Amino acid sequence: MTRRPNQRLIIAIDTGGTFTDCVYRADGKLEVLKLPSTPENPAAAILEAIEKIVQRVGANSIEVRHGTTVATNALLERKGARVAFVTTAGFEDTLAIGRQARPSLYDWDLHRPAPIVEEHSCFGLRERIGPDGAVLHPPTKAALKELRRQVQSSQAESVAVSLLFSFANPAHERAIESALASLGLPLSLSHQILPEFREFERASTVALNAYLSPSMASYIGSLEKGLAKWHARLSIMQSSGGILSARSVAREPVRTILSGPAGGVIGALSVARAAGIHRVISFDMGGTSTDVALLDATGEPPTSTEGEVAGLPISVPMLDIHTAGAGGGSLAWIDAASALQVGPQSAGADPGPACYGRGEHATVTDANLILGRLHPAHFLGGAMRLDESRSRRALGSVGGGFRSVEDLAEGIVRVANARMESALRRVSIERGHDPRAFTLLAFGGAGPLHACALASALGIRRVLVPAVPGALSALGILHADLRREFSRTVMLAPGSPRINTVFRELEEEARKAFHAEGSRPTLTCAADLRYQGQGYELRIGWGTGAVTRFHRLHARAYGYADSTRAVEIVTLRVQAVAKTRRPKQPQVALKRGDGQSARIASHRVFEEGRWRRAAIYDRTLLRPGDRFSGPAVIAELSATTYLPMGWAATVDGSGNLLLTARKSKLNSGVPR
Amino acid sequence: MSLPVLDAAEIAVLGHALHSIAVEMGAALRRTAFSPNIKERRDYSSAVFNSDGDLIAMGDDMPVHLGSMPMSVSAVLATLRLAPGDVALLNDPYCGGTHLPDITMVAPVFLPGKAKPAFYVANRAHHADVGGMYPGSMGPCREIAQEGIRIPPVKLMHAGKMDSQVLAILLANVRTPKEREGDLTAQLGACRVGVARMQELVRRFGHARLSRGVCALIDGSERLMRSVLASLPAGKWQAEDFLDDDGVRPGPIGIRVTLRNDPRHRRAVVDFAGTDPQVPGSINAVYAITWSAVFYVFRCLLPPGAIATAGLMRPVKVIAPEGTIVNALPPAAVAGGNVETSQRIVDTLLRALAPALPARIPAASSGTMNNLTIGGIDPRSNLPFTYYETIAGGLGGSPVGPGASGHHAHMTNSQNTPVEALEYAYPFRMVRYALRRGSGGAGLHRGGDGLVREIELLGDAQVTILADRRQTQPWGLAGGEAAAPGKTTLIVNGVESVLPGKCTRELPAGARLRIESPGGGGWGVNQ
Repeated sequence: MTRRPNQRLIIAIDTGGTFTDCVYRADGKLEVLKLPSTPENPAAAILEAIEKIVQRVGANSIEVRHGTTVATNALLERKGARVAFVTTAGFEDTLAIGRQARPSLYDWDLHRPAPIVEEHSCFGLRERIGPDGAVLHPPTKAALKELRRQVQSSQAESVAVSLLFSFANPAHERAIESALASLGLPLSLSHQILPEFREFERASTVALNAYLSPSMASYIGSLEKGLAKWHARLSIMQSSGGILSARSVAREPVRTILSGPAGGVIGALSVARAAGIHRVISFDMGGTSTDVALLDATGEPPTSTEGEVAGLPISVPMLDIHTAGAGGGSLAWIDAASALQVGPQSAGADPGPACYGRGEHATVTDANLILGRLHPAHFLGGAMRLDESRSRRALGSVGGGFRSVEDLAEGIVRVANARMESALRRVSIERGHDPRAFTLLAFGGAGPLHACALASALGIRRVLVPAVPGALSALGILHADLRREFSRTVMLAPGSPRINTVFRELEEEARKAFHAEGSRPTLTCAADLRYQGQGYELRIGWGTGAVTRFHRLHARAYGYADSTRAVEIVTLRVQAVAKTRRPKQPQVALKRGDGQSARIASHRVFEEGRWRRAAIYDRTLLRPGDRFSGPAVIAELSATTYLPMGWAATVDGSGNLLLTARKSKLNSGVPR
Repeated sequence: MSLPVLDAAEIAVLGHALHSIAVEMGAALRRTAFSPNIKERRDYSSAVFNSDGDLIAMGDDMPVHLGSMPMSVSAVLATLRLAPGDVALLNDPYCGGTHLPDITMVAPVFLPGKAKPAFYVANRAHHADVGGMYPGSMGPCREIAQEGIRIPPVKLMHAGKMDSQVLAILLANVRTPKEREGDLTAQLGACRVGVARMQELVRRFGHARLSRGVCALIDGSERLMRSVLASLPAGKWQAEDFLDDDGVRPGPIGIRVTLRNDPRHRRAVVDFAGTDPQVPGSINAVYAITWSAVFYVFRCLLPPGAIATAGLMRPVKVIAPEGTIVNALPPAAVAGGNVETSQRIVDTLLRALAPALPARIPAASSGTMNNLTIGGIDPRSNLPFTYYETIAGGLGGSPVGPGASGHHAHMTNSQNTPVEALEYAYPFRMVRYALRRGSGGAGLHRGGDGLVREIELLGDAQVTILADRRQTQPWGLAGGEAAAPGKTTLIVNGVESVLPGKCTRELPAGARLRIESPGGGGWGVNQ
């Protein structure tokens, strides 16, 4: 290996449940590295990957950009810290009561999820701030001392503080900060995490932040320690699709709940844009879960501050992504009603699917191997040989009275597909969008294996499999901009001089934060406006004519505007962005071919009840303009694509695979 | 000419597309309204109807509006001829409404070249005040003329132009005209959104295909409900339950129901014969409310994700004798029928169904919406205000598990007003908002706990409470115990006194009101 020690190396790393995917650029060329994840200590796989990459290409300055599931998993598995929640006395049950509504109108047994803070760890402090920020009742020294004692004896590992009207006057939260400082616990203060009104949504966000911060801080700490020998800088992907320095994220882990999936969305958008496709549904199927999102590639990805994860409101900006708990590692089993089930339990990375050599239980990946949709010698570019006899043994022990192992394997794939199909319906049909007008953009290690079957079921005619599909999330992270929003609820009239003062404060805060990140941001001011007395706001770019634009947008969005009504400025926002330079993808001229030179083996696949002859293609040998028909298996390092009977594949000028169906292959009945 | 055929895919897409239009109308209303009832608490509904006025889609809003929205549309179709750009307005409970604060708007969807509307969109919102004796229009009146302004179906918009005279009459009769005007404009805007989206949908599908798809949706709903009735046992079940009183005379007031299911013919009859006569106080329910309550209970028996259209209730017959509290006649006062009696009708029906479906039916939930209205002059602005909210309670324990605490039950699902939103908008200070521990009924599966909400007035105000389950208790089931009843406490100068369930008081600044809502009943014997 030649070493070029003067190179500045940016490595994007996406940790999945099964694999850790890395993307980096060397000599202008995109390189991919894929390693098994190490769920007990995710940092181990990351450090190993960096070691390998540095050995390969050398560098004197390294920046690591990372998509992590540490926060997501801690929340979904409810394995966060023991949190003490501190609020204004009389409102200790804020998290338990929520908005007092039930989640489902017609199911009395479906309740709101339990709060992440135990009832006996919610504490009230006798203090009060009014809506205008006036101190109505200052906390006494004795009360603060008592609070310190309560928090200490609750054995909390982390503290969330969210007092009423803290955004209007943070004095009492600061008093708590100093009263609790000597406990040495991580503090999440609402006036810092989310200085916006509506106490339940704010408290929920702040409590989650506290719940996640110890595990995130120790994770980032161990990563940074490992990175020290390369003097590498570390940043983390946020749920909003922007990246942020690890130091900031360690304090605000609630911003990273969708860190991994967000990389996929940014990656899918950049692929769709480059391919000139406007409407795509991104379908990111990994080892343990599947993320889908409906995207319009002509605009920015839609973020919302009204998001929810696992039924808990999170009011920091998040991309609109839907997750299903099924992936390649999902376990197959027979339930009490003698029905075949797939997931939600997963073999994960350890032990992994049976065919990887350690697991004993049947997974979707084992089923795909038995059906010939994976090839034992051409998995991970041949880096890992799959053991089909283990898969057969594992499926043999599932039971269920299937005629053959192949029939069971087809059943497993069909049940897994049904789960993913309902996720795709959620983001398309159930929001009134006809999926047939979209291209399915399939990625993740397992997405391209299942994409054609799902497209058929939904009547989608075209599937796009990007170059390096197994590492598209990592590519999205590589391309993501540095981004952070700074906001504050103010409740002011449009002419108020306070507006500019607060904007200057937020800008100063943004510049300082980005300075600490070593970059200079482009700042954009926006404000949430409404007619005085309304309960919801519209976000308007701030500047001359903002109020006029508000009237216009209100008319367009809601069918009316009233220029005689007083307008109120609720929340001010400063969006700070430092763009990442993205090298332009070279387009290669198409040359009509049949892919024969990429055909590396013949094989057999089991489809619709019997074995059929199929070809195996090496994706790296395919050239733009090549076209061939299924059944075929297209193998490459980061993923395997399965092209069923009746489907054809072409390679476009950017190296994407475009898969299209003969009309008869499509299910005209999007059922139910 | 051959009829255009829709495949199963298009029907599914159409069902969800219509539903999302209803949802979008609701969102437009919520996001632009001024009453906290609408914007924070989501006390509204929106729906789409075919040219005959049959429901074809409804947002996931207020169950109590389910059945009465179609009756509002029928009332409009029976009295008015709507032209393009017209919007009808009504709130008359005796003409398709529920109670006076619920104002409904109905707009026709015209297609190019057609003389008659192809569809209708409608929305309904609970306004914070519509005049009458008490601020908030939810007080203990004795006839409907005292409850507020009563509007039969009239046109608020003519060919896209507001009828300023209709608007002037309406605004002259309410306490907070500026806010009312804003809410009405928000409802009009939501109608416009609905009409525009429906026209887009017609362009996408073609009118003929869309009409056929809509028929297929309605027929599909009917088949679905019939399959549910076929799966229930055959039989006749009876039950009764009681409201405390009507706020005028001592109670209790009985609701009685007989439920007959005929699985072979896949139909059911719900008969309220034997229910007590209508009363002087304001808890009389009009037929639309009783029908909605029955609709709600049967809808709970459907598999999750079912699309709701008019077809669902075709196999279910609802009989409610005229002149009773479940089918009141003018001039009965009705403000509480919508909010309190509707809940008790559900309790009675569930009690009847419990022996038929022992593995599904829960114990009684809190059974009251604890309606609180406050009105007066805001000392900060010297402008009048009216405020309305409902307070959740405990859900009943069920065969599946314990009941939830602090959840709204059955016929309502309105959210609370955030404390921070409330204190910005009104001269109140929230003192306490907490779970009312121990108020749920004991049992193998405990009932959920109610809530405590304590508010201090920062200016003089008139306060009205309309609540039930103060004397009667939410019942337990299968050996579970009843829940604690609710309680309203007034605190003036540190002196506490307990208020009746339904009453109104003029209170000075500094007075506090503490409302403790009932829990839910327990299910099963506690071992």
